[in-house]
Amino acid sequence: MFSALQRFQGISSNVITAAIWISLFVALSSYAQLYLNEFRSLPAVIDHVKAVTTLKYSRGFGSRNREPKENSRIAFDLTADISDLFNWNTKQVFVYLTAEYEGQPSIPANKVTFWNKIITKKEDAVLNLQKERSSFSVWDVEDSFRQRNASLKLEWNIQPHVGLLLWGENKGSYELTFPEVKGSSSAST
Amino acid sequence: MNLRQQLIQGLNIAMVVCSAFMFWKGLALVTGSSSPIVVVLSGSMEPAFQRGDILFLWNRNQYVDVGDIVVYNIKEKEIPIVHRVMREHKVIPEVKTKKRSARSKKPVHEPGKVRQLLLTKGDNNPTDDLPLYAYGQTYLDREDDIVGKVMGYIPKLGYVTILITENVYFKYALLGLLGLSTLLQKE
Repeated sequence: MFSALQRFQGISSNVITAAIWISLFVALSSYAQLYLNEFRSLPAVIDHVKAVTTLKYSRGFGSRNREPKENSRIAFDLTADISDLFNWNTKQVFVYLTAEYEGQPSIPANKVTFWNKIITKKEDAVLNLQKERSSFSVWDVEDSFRQRNASLKLEWNIQPHVGLLLWGENKGSYELTFPEVKGSSSAST
Repeated sequence: MNLRQQLIQGLNIAMVVCSAFMFWKGLALVTGSSSPIVVVLSGSMEPAFQRGDILFLWNRNQYVDVGDIVVYNIKEKEIPIVHRVMREHKVIPEVKTKKRSARSKKPVHEPGKVRQLLLTKGDNNPTDDLPLYAYGQTYLDREDDIVGKVMGYIPKLGYVTILITENVYFKYALLGLLGLSTLLQKE
């Protein structure tokens, strides 16, 4: 009993030490490989962005007390190859399309996500999308955000099997102006 | 076994408990987060995080970014939630002249100082977290609600804590084993 317990302790401590060293090696070598691939300067082409602004009246679209809330949806073309983000320590890559814009003076910075995709295989990492529709209907913290100029970018987050999570963005952006509310009389100006 | 040996053993156990507590509080001090290591309890972030995965948090940045995975607390709900930030709005709150009612539990925000409002979503959930927030809450507040941003990841190792908290038999078996081993141990 006594020696069996000691043996078990010895073996388990060896196993734990080995596991720590192996995961450290896996994580560090994968970062080295990513930096050798210059993973922070991958290009992306965002084009033919069409935005639509509508008024929504339900809580699920940000409205409160049945007040009209402007919601925006987009359709876009996207060409990007992010297969360089994949190696032996990549569990998934979360890619997302963000829009950054200024609000009123009291709201200096806003950033919203229009579209996202979870990629778990390197074979799926070549994105060639046409007329892809946004994943969400987006509203602002204010009631209205039409006629604001936004900058669209493709960003990513690498989820490893073990180790540190990494964030970054692709080079290339698209300037978009949120349109007037669809069907409103002032849209013709 | 004499009394002196038993006392030394008791002292050893107290040392282990104390050093674990010191390590935990030291880590909280360094990371700026009240709970720097968390175990994932739900599948709402799959396939990134599964139940039992261990996450390491960091809370020393002034703002969090869109795309960051954060741990947040909701008032009057006990379990912290791990989800991804989908939107951020930096807002300068107005100076309120209206008198606040004494019953209001909302934290008082300094006027003129930028506050960051966040909307989160679980990767595996179809919609954003609005239904999870407190009644009437439309955004999270960076300073009030966020426990930390997820920086590091170890898979599966935290499943022991889920077993201990959710399985009574496992808990007693583990406690019994620990007690037995301390009784049988000899220098």
